[in-house]
Amino acid sequence: MKQTFQVKHAVGGRMFFDSNKLDVPYTVEALERGWRFTVNLPQGPVLEDLLANKNELNVFIFQEYADQPTLKTWYYVKDGPVEYDADKGSLTIVTDSRIEYFPHEYSV
Amino acid sequence: MIDVFPAAERHSADLGWLRSHPSYSFGAYNDPARTGFSVMRVCNDDYLAPGRGFGAHPHSDMEIVSIVLNGLIRHEDNMGNSVVSSFGEVQRMSAGTGVIHTEFNASEETELRLLQLWFMPKERGLAPSYEASSFDVDKLHNALLPVVSSHELENTASIGQDMTIYLSKLEQGEELAYPVETGRKQFIYLIEGVLEVNGVKLEIGDTAQIDAADELAFAAVTPAFFMLIDLP
Repeated sequence: MKQTFQVKHAVGGRMFFDSNKLDVPYTVEALERGWRFTVNLPQGPVLEDLLANKNELNVFIFQEYADQPTLKTWYYVKDGPVEYDADKGSLTIVTDSRIEYFPHEYSV
Repeated sequence: MIDVFPAAERHSADLGWLRSHPSYSFGAYNDPARTGFSVMRVCNDDYLAPGRGFGAHPHSDMEIVSIVLNGLIRHEDNMGNSVVSSFGEVQRMSAGTGVIHTEFNASEETELRLLQLWFMPKERGLAPSYEASSFDVDKLHNALLPVVSSHELENTASIGQDMTIYLSKLEQGEELAYPVETGRKQFIYLIEGVLEVNGVKLEIGDTAQIDAADELAFAAVTPAFFMLIDLP
């Protein structure tokens, strides 16, 4: 199984982070309510753009299998927090809820 | 004050299956000076090739209105809705805490043209909902017809924001007046024709952002089809 972690802008899908493009460590931790994502990211214009739009993020985990359809999980970021620790170079996104979906189940 | 944004200065994207004309930043088009007006975040004039569309994707905390101008759109979502709409019909989706949906051109022959409009909701974190409504296209004739509104109006879709969307088809030489409530803002998109608003000329594809007007006076220089949105 191949897993991809992505963070996009909710208005039109501008990509802020894609684990396929930037091979950095990340973790997903289940909380009592919601999930906490932590990823090591360098400072720069993309991170600044992400933080400027922290109330409008789409967070995804894609799980691709060789023998079954891709499962996409979308996480709802309501109030976060979405924070960056400059000393650790670590971005934290706390999500509120999630929806799992199989894209092929929708007709075209 | 009327701030006109000419169509000639508007960004355009051509993906082959989609030709899009966004009035505000959207996706890869990111202009910090054009991220919205009042609670409005997106106004895309989209043309979708037959049979093509937007695959399954999520939204949250956004009021999303689709107005079909030509062709057929098929909406599906994870709430169980599957609806085909044409000109004279409007879709409103309140994304709330999250919805997964698709939007496709339901025709294999005819191009779909739709206005895709996004607004920030009055309240975040509500349950998602969807509504399709229809209006009498004959009533667009020389009148401002509400098609989406937070007020309970006949044949309009409801919306989770303090606003009303009107459509109008004005014959050449005809005029209309719209009284403005103090403190409100208005957005105009000219779908077809040439139109004057308080003496300011708009051409096809132009938008106007209006703040602090007492009244709007519309005059059709040519037959004009336009959208007026009254915003907080």
